[in-house]
Amino acid sequence: MRLHAWGGSAQVNSYLQWVAQQVESKYGIRLQHVKLADTSDAVSRVLAEKAAGNNSNGSVDLIWINGENFAAMKKHGLLVQNWVNDIDNFALTNPEDNPAMITDFGEPTEGMEAPWGKASMVFYYRKTHLEKLNLTVPKNIHELMQFAQQAPGRFTYPVPTDYLGISFVKYVAIALNQAQSELFYAPVTPSALSQITPALWQYLDQLHPNLWQKGEYFVRQASKLQRMVGSGELSLAFSFTAAEIPSAVERFDLPLDIRTYSMSDGSLANVHFIGLTFNSANKAEAKAVVNFLLSPEAQAKKQRVQVWGDDTVLAMSKLSQAEQALFSTTQSHPSALDKTQSTLLFAEPHTSWTDALRQAWEERYGARY
Amino acid sequence: MIGYSNYFYRVTILARWLLLILLTVPVLAGVVGVVLPAFGYFPAIGANAVSMDVFARLFALDDAAEMIALSLTTGAASTLIACLCAFSLLAVFYRTRVLSWLQGLFSPFLVLPHAAASISLLFLLSPSGFFARLFTFDSDAIPSSSQSYFLFDELGLGIVLALIVKEVPFILLMALSVMSQPLIKEKINGYFNVGVSLGYSSISVFFKLILPVLYPQIRLPLLAVLVFAVSNVEIPLILGPNNPSTLAVAVLHWFNHIDLSMRLMASAAAVVQVGVAAVAIGLVILIENILAWLGERSWLSGKRTFGDDGLKLLSLFVVAGYAVLVAGTLFNLVLFSVAQHWPFPQVLPSGLTVLHWQSVLEAALEPIINTLILGGMVSLTALVLVLLALENEVLGSFNRAPDKAHSYQSNAGALLNIALFLPLLVPGVAFLYGLVWFQQIALKNAVWFHVYIAHIVYVMPYVFLSLAIAYRKLDSRYAMVAQSLGKSPIRVFLSIKLPLLAGPIMVAFALGLAISFSQYLPTLLATGGAISTVTTEAVAAASGSSMRLSAAYVIIQAVLPLVGFLLAWWLPGVLFTPRKVQINNKTTSPQPFRGS
Repeated sequence: MRLHAWGGSAQVNSYLQWVAQQVESKYGIRLQHVKLADTSDAVSRVLAEKAAGNNSNGSVDLIWINGENFAAMKKHGLLVQNWVNDIDNFALTNPEDNPAMITDFGEPTEGMEAPWGKASMVFYYRKTHLEKLNLTVPKNIHELMQFAQQAPGRFTYPVPTDYLGISFVKYVAIALNQAQSELFYAPVTPSALSQITPALWQYLDQLHPNLWQKGEYFVRQASKLQRMVGSGELSLAFSFTAAEIPSAVERFDLPLDIRTYSMSDGSLANVHFIGLTFNSANKAEAKAVVNFLLSPEAQAKKQRVQVWGDDTVLAMSKLSQAEQALFSTTQSHPSALDKTQSTLLFAEPHTSWTDALRQAWEERYGARY
Repeated sequence: MIGYSNYFYRVTILARWLLLILLTVPVLAGVVGVVLPAFGYFPAIGANAVSMDVFARLFALDDAAEMIALSLTTGAASTLIACLCAFSLLAVFYRTRVLSWLQGLFSPFLVLPHAAASISLLFLLSPSGFFARLFTFDSDAIPSSSQSYFLFDELGLGIVLALIVKEVPFILLMALSVMSQPLIKEKINGYFNVGVSLGYSSISVFFKLILPVLYPQIRLPLLAVLVFAVSNVEIPLILGPNNPSTLAVAVLHWFNHIDLSMRLMASAAAVVQVGVAAVAIGLVILIENILAWLGERSWLSGKRTFGDDGLKLLSLFVVAGYAVLVAGTLFNLVLFSVAQHWPFPQVLPSGLTVLHWQSVLEAALEPIINTLILGGMVSLTALVLVLLALENEVLGSFNRAPDKAHSYQSNAGALLNIALFLPLLVPGVAFLYGLVWFQQIALKNAVWFHVYIAHIVYVMPYVFLSLAIAYRKLDSRYAMVAQSLGKSPIRVFLSIKLPLLAGPIMVAFALGLAISFSQYLPTLLATGGAISTVTTEAVAAASGSSMRLSAAYVIIQAVLPLVGFLLAWWLPGVLFTPRKVQINNKTTSPQPFRGS
């Protein structure tokens, strides 16, 4: 049984090690976490297998995906349809009343993937840097511009081919076009795109010269942002997993003066999924593993900041008192996001916007490889 | 005896053919999988029309020319500078004990895989890096936010620097293994004595007399270095610019692109990448010719020096540079791998922890075992085949009429040289994808076999190149004497040649291990991730967010091959010192004619 999942996070990796031990002792399933540097490597592989006529003995069983990778796998028929309804614990996500569990970036999942966790965009900064530079924390898109202008080189975002990079572009696009936000939730059209880009380009044109490396170089991976905040080259960055920040502080990868917050004008939010490949030879075992991943036990463990801190996809209303209790651990780390504050969430735009925005960005600022 | 020797001869022929097949079939199959899509044929996505459209689209890109230029300039500049550095080190130190000390100094960067070396340089050179910390005296300072030279710069200076740092030790190793051959050594000593007695400085003797002997012997490995430099992915990915990047990085990006029609573009770019490598080789051949012409003039000029002071200065600079880099890297990597918080600009971390090593070792035990098994199997196969194939060259020339022997040798030799360069000329990401395609059709479950083949394609050329020099230059009189004393070819091979070549053999084996250890794409693509090695884990960690885990992985990546090389340098001395061989002969073979 192979689960192909991005392997760049120590927290995720050790959580999956725990999962492997659990399914081995519970069901006698040997689960191997295949660590990917880039999830599209695994998508390419399944496609190569399909091209070569390997329809029943694939090397990828389960794959951790969402957004574009899912759209590509769906388009090429690389996933099993409607298997998630066989998963007992899937009902605990309350899919009838919670469309986010069966919609992946505006694309219906058609039972090809099971929700695994959810995330929203948070920002984090170096408190001592801001004090030394005499800056206030930017709480919305306009304050972010002021921050960049007052402290050039202390903020950047990854290339839009990176998941977090395109997410930042989407955040800017949505935040600057709130009056016409309905455009984002339908498939993109040339006219819709031309309505939202003027404000976006005006903003980015002004922002780029004030980015790290003057916007000449964009980092390729989101994880580089955390490294550079850790080393002090950046003072402000953002992430999709709020909980990874305090746990990175615990692991010494981020310094003690890190503080996390969400933007007051809205945070992009989405769900990530586990897909089952069409040519997996171990479908029954794969389903058992996914059922375990969706169990209250595994989800509660995943949500603990010390472990991974990924928000659960289970609906609390569907859980027993005892199961709910598993999730109620007090979290008060100085670097953690203050969850008592309510945050305004932006749903992910329809998946077609991802490509459209990226292409428009690349045409304007050059494709970065 | 004759039947026995013929049997051995047949085995060597078989080995030679097997070597050719192992080198060519995977690469050619892979190339087919690249050339077809480059011309628009890729049925898996419904592209069936053969045309030049894809190339037209590629060259219509705004930055296609810039990417090609960046690949060429960084690759060619680094190789030329690395040659200059390596040759001036040799010229200044070749008659001194400093050389063996230098080998020790260089070994960390010799064995460090390219990705790991780039990560180490990044650690040192970034605005929050070790050098910046050393020169920041305000304890409240925050790292500079201005652009740093050598990192991500438009000219690719960071790529050039990293390539030079990796190449100089390799060129030096190759040159020294040639110069240590008895025949060459004798020749060099002779030339040196003549040159010096005529009043030439030792540096000018090196450039005027010794380099012309040495250069033809290391020319092939040098070209391999050049081709690698223009087409490698790891270094420009970590240190290079991305506005635009090098062509090889774009190839990788397009191959991994979620939009599968980009495969066509990737394939076309991979074909262009082969062209870029060819242009680089042409450029170097041109420079060789110019230098040869200049060289003739300098022979006749009678000048007794050869820019001695400049070269001495350059050598000192190179040695000092390496000393600083090695010391900085070791200090930085070791401390990072055990560091608690380490705020800028402190030179030492605020505390130590074993947490990072715990995480790494928990996860890395199985990959380490996989790495060792795979590397051992691959290098051993390569070594056996290469030794037998080289022996076949020797036996082949004995077993044929003298007039035919020469043409047999040169034809077979040319064929083999082309085969050896195939895997080094075709960007891995291109032919490996084609290879995976074919592996999926045949034997799709034999994962270990596929990764074994993918590694052997890369390991074999280096083992061959590193061993061929020594083997071909082995003084044939040893073999002749043994044969005239009645030893069969197989006995000559086993009891005379192998012990005499123990040093180069061990070095070639260690090199094979190091090459196998460092393979990322071949491992990932051929196994679909089912077999993780230290390098696949390390690259995943390098893309992750923890510098501390990266540091620990870089250390593991350095230590594994280093142990191999240390054993290679140490063991032959212990096992096969000439004196011991003599004593053994006296004690165990009192009757030298006992033989067959």
